[in-house]
Amino acid sequence: MSGLFGTLSTALSGLSVSQDEMATTSNNVANANTPGYSREVTDIAAGDPIEEGAIGYGTGVVLQKIESLRDPILQIQIHQATGQNSSLNAALTELQQIQSQFASSSTGIGADISNFFNSLQQLSPDPTSVTLRQGVLTAAGTLATDLNTAAQSLQTQRSDIDQNVVQSVSQVNSLTSQIASVDQQIATLQNAKQGTGTLVDTQNNLIQQLSGLIGVAVIKTDQGISVATANGTALVSGSQSFALSTQLGTNGVQHILSGAQDITNSLTGGSLAGLIQVRDQEIPAISGSLDQLAAGLATNLNAANAMGTDLNGVVGGNIFATPPAGGVGAAATMTVTMTDPSLIAASSDGTVGSNGNLANLSAVATEPLANGQTPINTYADLVSQVGSDTANTSADADSSSLILQQLNDENGSISGVSLDEEASNLIQYQTAYQAAAHVVSTINLLLLDAVNLGMDAAEE
Amino acid sequence: MRVNPNPMPDLLAALNQTQLEEQQAELQISTGKSVNEPSDNPAAAALLIENNDQATFTSGYLQSVSAVQGQLSTASSTLAAITSALQQVISLGVEAGGGTLSSSDLAGIANQLQGIQGQIVSLANTAYEGNYIFAGTKTGAAPFVADASAPDGSGVNYVGNTGINEVSIGAGYKTAVSVPGSQLFSAPGNDVFLAVSNLIQAVQTNTGIPAAVNAVSAANSYLSAQTVFYGNAADQATSQTTYLNSAKLQIAQQQNTLGGVDMAAAASNLTQAQTDSQAALAAIGKLSQNNLFDYLT
Repeated sequence: MSGLFGTLSTALSGLSVSQDEMATTSNNVANANTPGYSREVTDIAAGDPIEEGAIGYGTGVVLQKIESLRDPILQIQIHQATGQNSSLNAALTELQQIQSQFASSSTGIGADISNFFNSLQQLSPDPTSVTLRQGVLTAAGTLATDLNTAAQSLQTQRSDIDQNVVQSVSQVNSLTSQIASVDQQIATLQNAKQGTGTLVDTQNNLIQQLSGLIGVAVIKTDQGISVATANGTALVSGSQSFALSTQLGTNGVQHILSGAQDITNSLTGGSLAGLIQVRDQEIPAISGSLDQLAAGLATNLNAANAMGTDLNGVVGGNIFATPPAGGVGAAATMTVTMTDPSLIAASSDGTVGSNGNLANLSAVATEPLANGQTPINTYADLVSQVGSDTANTSADADSSSLILQQLNDENGSISGVSLDEEASNLIQYQTAYQAAAHVVSTINLLLLDAVNLGMDAAEE
Repeated sequence: MRVNPNPMPDLLAALNQTQLEEQQAELQISTGKSVNEPSDNPAAAALLIENNDQATFTSGYLQSVSAVQGQLSTASSTLAAITSALQQVISLGVEAGGGTLSSSDLAGIANQLQGIQGQIVSLANTAYEGNYIFAGTKTGAAPFVADASAPDGSGVNYVGNTGINEVSIGAGYKTAVSVPGSQLFSAPGNDVFLAVSNLIQAVQTNTGIPAAVNAVSAANSYLSAQTVFYGNAADQATSQTTYLNSAKLQIAQQQNTLGGVDMAAAASNLTQAQTDSQAALAAIGKLSQNNLFDYLT
């Protein structure tokens, strides 16, 4: 038999475990709103019985461990979804900024092209009018200025993104070194057989932030955590982190390097991937279209002007500065060099009153550019492209947000702290503690009786 | 199954979505446009740019037609004045050829005819907005210059050219805006000035007056035939104006179809979004204001 002291010890184990359970509940309640916190549950078991012949006496309750509830597979899915979502949102923000420049159909580059050719049309019935000629130069100036503004603001946006890339890489490095350092602490605690729940939460939180910046694949082994980009560039291996660096590339933007390897184009997730996509693909494509438009218009209009004679009877000179060879930068540098309206070569027969060459100048409106499209259609296509890229990215971002929300809901249903649940647990643990305390008090009385057992008889 | 104890992020996302829809509906109503940025409808955004191009050109063509019409009507009325002057020349010639007039009367008629000759030259040098309309494309200078020693004996030299300006008054539709003065007044065989000069000479010498009158008459008929061009051109301009105005209307309708907003739909979307937004707010407001801890004493 276990005796009164054995029973006392059993009751004490109840008190102690109930206290631990209440401490766990208390910790859960305290962290109910802590981001990334996974609720903890106690794992308790009956103590090993003491066997006396055929009878086994219970020895109370034992706290096996305090465990954080989380689903590692779900965590990996959340990291992936976060990477995807951040990439799309980063690209979307930039695309929305780009498309705001191309928002209006009644103002802007498209309207400028229409207005320029219309000014030539207006000159046609009265080719000697200086006012109408000035109208042509003014319309040309507006077109050039708007093309300059659009091209330059795309360049500005591109360099802003570039700075953002550099900052993001430095954040990535800071996060990977923190993740590695937390992993070191986890390893130490594990070696000492101590609980690591909160540290794992911290680490998860850091990985979550990291996947928002750069898509990551995470593998957890007994040797520690291994974090890599989606295409396999190692970022963290156990307690060691590998910093990324940036370097100015030949295309004028910052490239991301892991050691000597350029991983710029292989990033598939996180805001970095979205930013790089806009910086290296969207903006160059749009700038290219604008350059093609500017170079084509300047070249064709200059050529058309050279086919006629001006008000002085002289063969027409350039209206626009000759665009750079190959057209790169043509939109940003497009300039009207003609300042004297009498130099517009409207005449086709050398006389002042002829308007014959205006037909050649007007024909540029329907002449295909290098891309096979007319100027106005080139611009309309560009706007449609920017619009559909933005609309598609926006739709993708919406659906990826829903996926992420769904995963977070699932995660919450496993790891989230429910105050109702904690309150109910608290009642249970409190009752158990009170019961155990009652048992102690009863045994105390019994022990007192036992101690005083001979005293009464002696007095009698 | 255990539910996610924290529904707040979901509710906030829903609230954000309804507010976004509310803003979109408000933007559509305030701008009257369904395409406020290219991503609202990329295809329509592109078509709207082409539509604006067409609208600009249609208005431009209308302005050109109106400018051309001014020029054409000036030319028409000038030619009418010249024709009537020639009628007067013919009557005077018939009077002179009657054989009953004294030499001093004939000298008077010759003087009168010279005056009319000068008037016709001046009419042939009519300018519209500073441009001589019968000078071909040499519109900068008066095309007919009086010259007593003109080689053809007409007393007038043509210094214009035979160039013709054409103006687009529609996509791919050009119209000539003038006939060179040489073709109107100095056509070989039907030279108005030569015919009048010859008549003056005939009256002065009182020889061959009827033949000279016939020549003026023939030149006048030829000139009248030439004025048909201006009548036709004016008709074309008028019918083109009608066409362009209806095209303009159609383009405006197309623009409205492409980018205009269905106000009733937008207003109902706004109401719907506002209701959704209120519902989301109410849900957040009511959210678990109580939990089990509130009931523990």
